[in-house]
Amino acid sequence: MLATTFKWFTGIWLGMVAVAMFLWVPAHEGLGNVGRIVIMHVPTGWLTSVAFLFSAIYSWRYLRHGRARDDALALAAAELGLIFSVLATVTGAIFAKVVWGTYWNWDPRETAIAALMLIYAAYFALRTSIEDRQRQRYLGSIYALLAFVAVPFLIFVIPRVTDDTLHPNCAILNTPNCQGIELTENGRIIGTVEDFKVELLGIEQQADLTVATVSILSNGTNYTLKPSFNRASNKPETIERLPETLRDVQIKRLVGEPGNQMVEIAIANTGNIGLLTEQRTLLTFFASLFGFTLLFFWLWWLRADVLDINEQLLQQGITI
Amino acid sequence: MAKPAFWQAAWAVAYKDLQIELRTRYALNAMALFAVTTAVMVSFRLGPLGLSRDPRSAATLAVLLWIAIFFAAMNGLSRTFVREEEAHTATLLRLNVPALAVYLGKLVVNLLILALLETLVTLLFLGLLNVTIAKVGLFLATLSLGGLALAGATTILATLVAKADGKGSLFTILAFPLVLPLLIIAVETTELALSGGTWASAGSGLQLLAAYTIAEHVAALWLFERVWEA
Repeated sequence: MLATTFKWFTGIWLGMVAVAMFLWVPAHEGLGNVGRIVIMHVPTGWLTSVAFLFSAIYSWRYLRHGRARDDALALAAAELGLIFSVLATVTGAIFAKVVWGTYWNWDPRETAIAALMLIYAAYFALRTSIEDRQRQRYLGSIYALLAFVAVPFLIFVIPRVTDDTLHPNCAILNTPNCQGIELTENGRIIGTVEDFKVELLGIEQQADLTVATVSILSNGTNYTLKPSFNRASNKPETIERLPETLRDVQIKRLVGEPGNQMVEIAIANTGNIGLLTEQRTLLTFFASLFGFTLLFFWLWWLRADVLDINEQLLQQGITI
Repeated sequence: MAKPAFWQAAWAVAYKDLQIELRTRYALNAMALFAVTTAVMVSFRLGPLGLSRDPRSAATLAVLLWIAIFFAAMNGLSRTFVREEEAHTATLLRLNVPALAVYLGKLVVNLLILALLETLVTLLFLGLLNVTIAKVGLFLATLSLGGLALAGATTILATLVAKADGKGSLFTILAFPLVLPLLIIAVETTELALSGGTWASAGSGLQLLAAYTIAEHVAALWLFERVWEA
């Protein structure tokens, strides 16, 4: 009875989230409809890590107590982890293509999820290569734990692969506060913002406006853009769109006298609004996070039960 | 504390494996041939003059060096455990020698094999690809720590693979995600060593490598008995 209620509740809840995601939530100001994907993308990414954690915990419990149920839970969590990691990767790649101009660029979180998928794949490869079921569980649990020791290092190691990330928290919550790169006329003229290489080619003054000429390397092409800053109002004036992406380039800050000026070049999502700034979007996002978590637990226990029953049938000599 | 008999047992396991290895040279031959093949293949097109003139050669060479080391190591490192299972001597060893002594013995053998392999790969790269190592100390430190970390992660996996049925290809598949952090840092510090980076710039990388090595060895010591008795 309880299980049935839980099942229906989860189904209806997620159905409502799906409807709200497309009908109730307004399109993102700047990014447009692609902004909606955050409602699916973040929960699936989050559950991938949760699944990995549960898989390790239940593997450890299996090694300690030797109960088949614990291993069924560990295996079910790993299976769900793989499904959710694929969902997170696909939704993320779609968003990345539209907003950043490329499906894949070894952004730190992309690297992390790729490593997780490799681990899941290896875990299943190991399990399927062993005939004896007892040994299958035993060695599978040990591999899950070994992987669990190695993965935290990825979190420290991965930021070293690229200087910065396209996944800053500010992209999701509050873009206007994102840091840019500070370039100086007579000093440092090259730097990186996230994945973009930025070079300051020159600064000219036009009445109240200061116009910077910058060259930006984006997906292998150099674009020359001219964002400007209004000294009278102390605000960015011209904001330039980076071609083939939904990213805007602006001078966020200007310090110093002509001849020795420092400009902070920021590259933010078009519209310069965080993905979750809008209230309905935020609400639907949390509803989705909750709904997907319910879905995860329901699927997890269901799958573990199926594995249990399968095991009992096998012990009685019945194969299905 | 462990009794002297424990260390004798560990040493006996290592000595026996080294003797068998020197007699058959199965692992050594497989690894050496893999290393030579890789170096020659790279050298055909890129060396000895092509790559060293490229300004980005340090990064490319560091990656190629670790590709050669990693995949060659995958060819040979599982050998000592697979042999025990194939020759049905594992049970005898389980009955007579404490699990930890077996692990330490095999670890020593794997470390020695890796040291030989790394020396060979480095010499091949020096000769065939005209590599100049700007910071020899840093290069040696990276290779030693990298070797220690690789042995720590792979010795226990070798035990695991020996118990599974698809022994050959499975080892690489299982090892790659686990040693990914190690490979990323090792490539980075190797690049620094080749291009003349300072110890200070490589410091945090080496620290991470050391932390990873310790974590992998602790996890392996903790889990080995369970794998071995499985």
